[in-house]
Amino acid sequence: MGSSAQLARLLEHPTIWRGASAAHAEGLASGFAALDACLPGKGWPRAGLIEILVPRFGSGELYLLLPALAALTRARCARWCVWVAPPLMPFAPALAAEGIALDRVAVVSGARPLWALEQALGSGACDAVLAWARRPKAREIRRLQLAAERGRTLGVLFRPRRAAREASAAVLRLGLAPMSAGVRITLLKGRTAMRGAIDLALRG
Amino acid sequence: MHLTENDPAGKLVQLGMSAQRFTPRVSLAPPDGLLLEVQGSLHLFAGVAGLRGALLAECLRLEVRPVLAFAPTALAALVMARAGKSLEVLEPAQLTGQLAPLPLSSLRWPEYTVARLARMGVRTIGAALRLPRAGFARRFGDAQLAMLDVLTGRTAEVRVTYRAPERFRRRRELGCELENHGLLLVALAPLLAELGDFLAARDLGVVKLECRLMHRHAPPTRCVVRLASPATDVQRLTALLGEHLSALELPEPVRACELAAAALVPHRPESESLWQPGERGGSFGKESCDLIERLRARLGAEAVYGLTRLPAHRPEKAWAVAEPPSASTHRAQPGCSADSAPARRRPVWLLPAPQRLSVRDGLPRRRGPLRLVSEPERIETGWWDGDEIARDYYTAVDIHGVHLWVFRERAAPHDWFLHGVFG
Repeated sequence: MGSSAQLARLLEHPTIWRGASAAHAEGLASGFAALDACLPGKGWPRAGLIEILVPRFGSGELYLLLPALAALTRARCARWCVWVAPPLMPFAPALAAEGIALDRVAVVSGARPLWALEQALGSGACDAVLAWARRPKAREIRRLQLAAERGRTLGVLFRPRRAAREASAAVLRLGLAPMSAGVRITLLKGRTAMRGAIDLALRG
Repeated sequence: MHLTENDPAGKLVQLGMSAQRFTPRVSLAPPDGLLLEVQGSLHLFAGVAGLRGALLAECLRLEVRPVLAFAPTALAALVMARAGKSLEVLEPAQLTGQLAPLPLSSLRWPEYTVARLARMGVRTIGAALRLPRAGFARRFGDAQLAMLDVLTGRTAEVRVTYRAPERFRRRRELGCELENHGLLLVALAPLLAELGDFLAARDLGVVKLECRLMHRHAPPTRCVVRLASPATDVQRLTALLGEHLSALELPEPVRACELAAAALVPHRPESESLWQPGERGGSFGKESCDLIERLRARLGAEAVYGLTRLPAHRPEKAWAVAEPPSASTHRAQPGCSADSAPARRRPVWLLPAPQRLSVRDGLPRRRGPLRLVSEPERIETGWWDGDEIARDYYTAVDIHGVHLWVFRERAAPHDWFLHGVFG
């Protein structure tokens, strides 16, 4: 028996817990069954950076995330949900109406969104960090992805549609287009066999 | 020592601090008394007269007019001073004789006790001392008798020594003039290490740290670090100070630096959590404090905030900026947030101020015509504070499929405005 096979058998022992197995733990339910079915881990990743590419601000990208954010912030021992450099002011009554616990929401404005985003992702104090960054470089996105894994945080980066041409280290990239009563989602990158587009009804 | 001020409380602490240079054993007798144990200091200040002069000079500096009395027991000195007599009694044998003519009121006994004694014809301390001890204790209480014993030195008195709150202030002259921010932090490192030892030895934590950088001509540059929770960890302080320093503009090279910890508080070490933050109820208080401090150090205090809802119908007034959320795991019912939500749908984004839309054929336009897709919602309120609004709100969709929250003024020109965006 080769040494690698022995090692593999040793690692099957039930009392040995490996960090890699946690990375494949179940995802965070997005609130849309059709989307969950296509996402790797059957939901949003709990640790890692995802990108949502939109043709323009307000295409329904936030409503795609709100059910998951509501579940995160209302969990018993929820960490923070931080909004970095939002283009407009998040409207507290609407967030509350969508079920988000406002006592877990913090907003960071200011001149250096990418730096603030990396700090928030890597701090371990946040369950989710949403960010609107102008033009992150590929190298910076790689750093953000590593920070998100370090802090076990879901990082969401909203970018314009044209960024789809650039390479990115994000674990998941979704393209999004508004439809008459919802959005059409295209999976651009992700550890899943699913390809093609999904139509979701967002606005009840 | 008795302070004859209208509001002596503040002066008392101040004087208590500066009196530490006359003797290490200083005790406060609020509201207006200060006791110094000066037997050991008499020689240094050339006797009672010299000490009296030095004390009066100190009081003059603090703009306090005191009555100074010297006596073999602390209480006797206090009573003499409160009676307004600046006596100097150095021999224990003379004490009772000197106390005897003083009025009983200077003992600050309860009024009815003094009144009862006065009805018996006992108006001075001497008369009270002459009363039979057993009867006195029975009629007026053991506490009063014990006080008379302390007064005459029959029993010893236990007093609490006053300790001035501690501060940290260290200065370092630099061998050369520094301009580089990174090197500044290196130059400050010995001071920070000293601060760390200072805090560790006293079990204190710092909540506000001030760093002053001296220049050749320009006034010193100040850099203040405020902490969200008491800090004892030098590494954390160094990292934060580094963030603050890097944001600083230096008018000239730095020649000397000074580090002062203004607000020191007792430090209670936190117990480490078994779980990772956020995992199975693991606390993330430390992480969240660190994050807020780091963000605020670089971006400014107002760049990090939380959100809160207000009970108002006007959209502009239905929310407010709040302090960032605290990391406490005890939360007030996290599940019941949608109870008082507005019945109608609200946009996730609100514009800082309504934005006027152009109109064609009575319909609003924004990058093309807007399509109204909802019934109007009338918000008409605020007549009581002059900030009245009367608007009909609609959900509109622009040609790109973006949902907008627009309203039409009910007043005369019936203008259209954009007020929010549905994310």
